[in-house]
Amino acid sequence: MFKTLLKKDLLVELRSREISASMLTFGLAVILIFSFAFNVSSDIFARFAPGLYWTMILFIAVLGLHRSFSHEREFDTFSTILAAPVDRGLIYLSKLTSGFLFLLLTQILISGPFVLFLQLEVPRDWGYLLLVILLGNFGIMAIGSLVSALAMRAKMSEVLVPILLFPLVSPLLIASVKATAAVFAGFPLGEWQLWLQLQITFGAVFGLAGFLLFDNLAEE
Amino acid sequence: MQSIWKNRRFQLLFGGAVIMMVINLINILVNSPMHPTQHWAQKIFYYHVPCAWVGFLSYLIVAIAGVLFLKTRDFKWDNLGLAAAEIGTFFTILVLITGPIWASAAWGKAWTWEPRLTTTTILFLIYVGYFMLRSFGGAPERVARYTAILGIIAFLDVPIIFLSVKLWAPEVQSHPQVEMNSQPINILGAFLFSLLTFTVVYWVMLWLRTRILNLQSGRN
Repeated sequence: MFKTLLKKDLLVELRSREISASMLTFGLAVILIFSFAFNVSSDIFARFAPGLYWTMILFIAVLGLHRSFSHEREFDTFSTILAAPVDRGLIYLSKLTSGFLFLLLTQILISGPFVLFLQLEVPRDWGYLLLVILLGNFGIMAIGSLVSALAMRAKMSEVLVPILLFPLVSPLLIASVKATAAVFAGFPLGEWQLWLQLQITFGAVFGLAGFLLFDNLAEE
Repeated sequence: MQSIWKNRRFQLLFGGAVIMMVINLINILVNSPMHPTQHWAQKIFYYHVPCAWVGFLSYLIVAIAGVLFLKTRDFKWDNLGLAAAEIGTFFTILVLITGPIWASAAWGKAWTWEPRLTTTTILFLIYVGYFMLRSFGGAPERVARYTAILGIIAFLDVPIIFLSVKLWAPEVQSHPQVEMNSQPINILGAFLFSLLTFTVVYWVMLWLRTRILNLQSGRN
């Protein structure tokens, strides 16, 4: 059932390319704005890069989440999904997974321009960087899918999503920025594994909370 | 319907709160000794810390009321949750006002990213979102469910926020703090009494507010 739900999200996206296209274009626009707003030397940029990167990702994620959930609202597909005899938790997991995949795809495409335009050097431990990015993505989408579902049918949902999400996601943002900065600085894992653990904890807590609470959220 | 003012237990609690407030003020201004280094600035702690305690207590109550509402679907729990959120946010604002007042006297600058103050700020923002979700959410039954979920998520986030903020800015830790448990007995005594007073006052407020909300939603 989970597969069917996920396939539905991916198929809709594959045909319209609404979410990934808007996420990617928006991301590029943000990078451009960063370059203009902070016209500084590249070693100063290197120090700010982790923070800028995750700020950008968070904005992109909000955009994608809003698109993904307002699609459900516009076509009232959510009521249809709810009519199906599916465990509500699986609906959440499918939204989390599709959101995660869209964000990951955007990140893969956008990291090149980000490094290029901000004149950064790719760290040697890029494997760790990938891990940090995956965990950060998962955490953002775990809480983001839950919050977006809460805000979906409210008035001004496009404003409510970031207002609810940003303070809630702040510990994950701190952990992701710190971990990314540590990888860029080439610190050994032992010095910053704490931030990885925080990312994992955050993802686990809210992934589980979303899975369990979605039952109460998705009912008509 | 019987007026709340004829309720014996409420009369006692209300009378107790008024008397304790007066004693507390005399205690703070006259009876408790002057702190050797901070003088008058330290006095704000008799209000600041109890406000923070009551604020955090509220958010615990919001989360518990949320769980109970989702389990029973009885609107009295929704009303309790809303009342606790409102009063908790009120006390949180007081914390955010009294904190910088003390900090400008003690540290010479109004704002530092001290973990407790930062956590309080983030919580405050989450609860602003909580009220926005309430007012824009739509149908009362759905709003009650959604805000119950948000209250639970917010509470799950508190320890993660606190931990991440604490690790994020370790240099702030070295600022001199007034540790209440290492104070002379007469400062500690006055402080504990103030803590108790605020808890009683909070209880009175919560009782009244919940009752008003119950009356508005047609319950006794």
